[in-house]
Amino acid sequence: MARINTKVPWFRKMAWFGKKTTWMNKKKLISTLKAYAFLAPFLVLFVGMVIYPISLGVRLSLYGQRGARMWYIGVENYQRIFSDTRFWESFKTPLFLLGVQVPLMLFLATLISLAYETRKNSGVVYRFIYYLPYTIPGIVAGIVWSYIFSDSMSPLRPLLDLLGYSGTKILTRPNVPPILLVIILWEFTGYTAFIVYSSLISIPKEFSEAAQLDGAGFWQIAFKIKIPLLRDVLITLFIFNAIGAMQVFNEPYMLGGLVVLPNNYTPAMYIYSSAFSQGRFTYAAAMGMILACITFVISLYVLRTAARNVLRSRS
Amino acid sequence: MSRRTFWSIVVTVVLMGLCVYFIFPFYWLTMGITKNVSQLYQKSLLPGVPSHLAENVQRVFSYENRTFFRWLGNSFLYATVGAFTGVTIASLAGFAFRRYDFIGKKALFIVILGCAMVPGYATTLPIFIMFRNLGLIDTRLAVLLPSFVNVFGVYLMVAYWNQVPDEMFDAAEIDGANDLLIYLRIGLPNVLPGFVTLFLLAFVGIWNNFFLPLVVLNSRSRMPLILGITTITDPQGFPVYNLTLTASFFTILPLLVLFATLQRYFKPQLYVG
Repeated sequence: MARINTKVPWFRKMAWFGKKTTWMNKKKLISTLKAYAFLAPFLVLFVGMVIYPISLGVRLSLYGQRGARMWYIGVENYQRIFSDTRFWESFKTPLFLLGVQVPLMLFLATLISLAYETRKNSGVVYRFIYYLPYTIPGIVAGIVWSYIFSDSMSPLRPLLDLLGYSGTKILTRPNVPPILLVIILWEFTGYTAFIVYSSLISIPKEFSEAAQLDGAGFWQIAFKIKIPLLRDVLITLFIFNAIGAMQVFNEPYMLGGLVVLPNNYTPAMYIYSSAFSQGRFTYAAAMGMILACITFVISLYVLRTAARNVLRSRS
Repeated sequence: MSRRTFWSIVVTVVLMGLCVYFIFPFYWLTMGITKNVSQLYQKSLLPGVPSHLAENVQRVFSYENRTFFRWLGNSFLYATVGAFTGVTIASLAGFAFRRYDFIGKKALFIVILGCAMVPGYATTLPIFIMFRNLGLIDTRLAVLLPSFVNVFGVYLMVAYWNQVPDEMFDAAEIDGANDLLIYLRIGLPNVLPGFVTLFLLAFVGIWNNFFLPLVVLNSRSRMPLILGITTITDPQGFPVYNLTLTASFFTILPLLVLFATLQRYFKPQLYVG
């Protein structure tokens, strides 16, 4: 049987179609106007405080500078940075954190979140206590921990003396990486465990119950069922912590008050001291751009997932 | 002893041990503020005898013409105004992404998200230069303006708005409510918990932000607590450990009170939905 609309002459169809499109466009135009009205305050500030500074940073990075005098030099700053060993040495600390602290923390956080699950009543208390350090600013964590490890105040000192290590100093340059490890693990492990736990409890109970019926033990369920389902959240956490590791500043900055650290101990410290101690703003801007690019590349995976998850259009 | 109880004991011991690790600095700080410098040098884990708590507090409060209270006031000003403005603006932007299909929607969202990932250390330097040209260096506005842009907040706000069903907006639209009214009457009450969560996260974020004020401020009278406490020295410029500790204690006290009382709003937020 012929479809009914075949009986409509083609020109009428076109007219109808045409009308529909103009109507759609008009609607889209109106909603575009409305949307930008709501977006306006954000966009103005976003352009002023994010987009413009980034473009200014790019522009500055292409200039040479002596005092207040600036002149265009193209990519010369970048060429100099590539042979500036002090800049690349500053990545030792972030790489140490990336290689040791981040994996260790994710491992610990996963174990802790599995332990939370086994504690029905006391779990709340543990989660509260473990989360507390995260509410503390890195500066204060740096102050308190650096005092705890300082040779003049450390409660570890009497302990070391007792064990016969009275000559060994605690807060020395070589000891700073493990001390940073202790501080940063202290700050973020509880927070990370909380996030892992949140996605752990969203796994349907049926999964582990079915496995239990099949005779799987606690560890088998943990490794074969739960941890694979946590993959996405663990990857995201890894990326966020990798970004954090690239930018570490506050904790070594405060430790620097009690033990002499070179001004290129981390990339952020090197950028800061280049700009504000040595006044090499354009050179520092170029280093900032390189750091931003590295961060951006690391974050691409998260950006893609995030855009996919959140941006669904109205059906 | 069965295997089950054995493991249960192991887990409890480990969890308790970690409690010690996570609480110890708080304990040490609380003990530390009862001591003067020579008592701190005794390295004891117990409170100082005789207690110097009152003296420490009094010395911190009166330090350099009571500048401590200016720092405290500044911190509250920056964190409250910055967080509230930032989250309000972010909620308006989030509403636009949720409610409308508009030209450039996807591209704009990706640009905003991409910029969320640009480290503060890369933008703060150009912001310093920009503010210097505008004569904004060492003003309160220099700390406030960047904190009004809560890029992360926009992203999370879109996620919160997504939880409000379409029917709710449509019903209001049929009733003839205009868009601003829909945002205020239908939208905001429904995302209020998210709004509070974001406000708290932003508040803590600004309260704890050290790098921006470090770069854009010079005068101690405009510094927030977090920066002010790192400038405490004796007249010769040497650190005074007991005063720094006492000031640190008062820096984190409001945060701990906020966290303990409004715990249910402190939901950790992550990019994945």
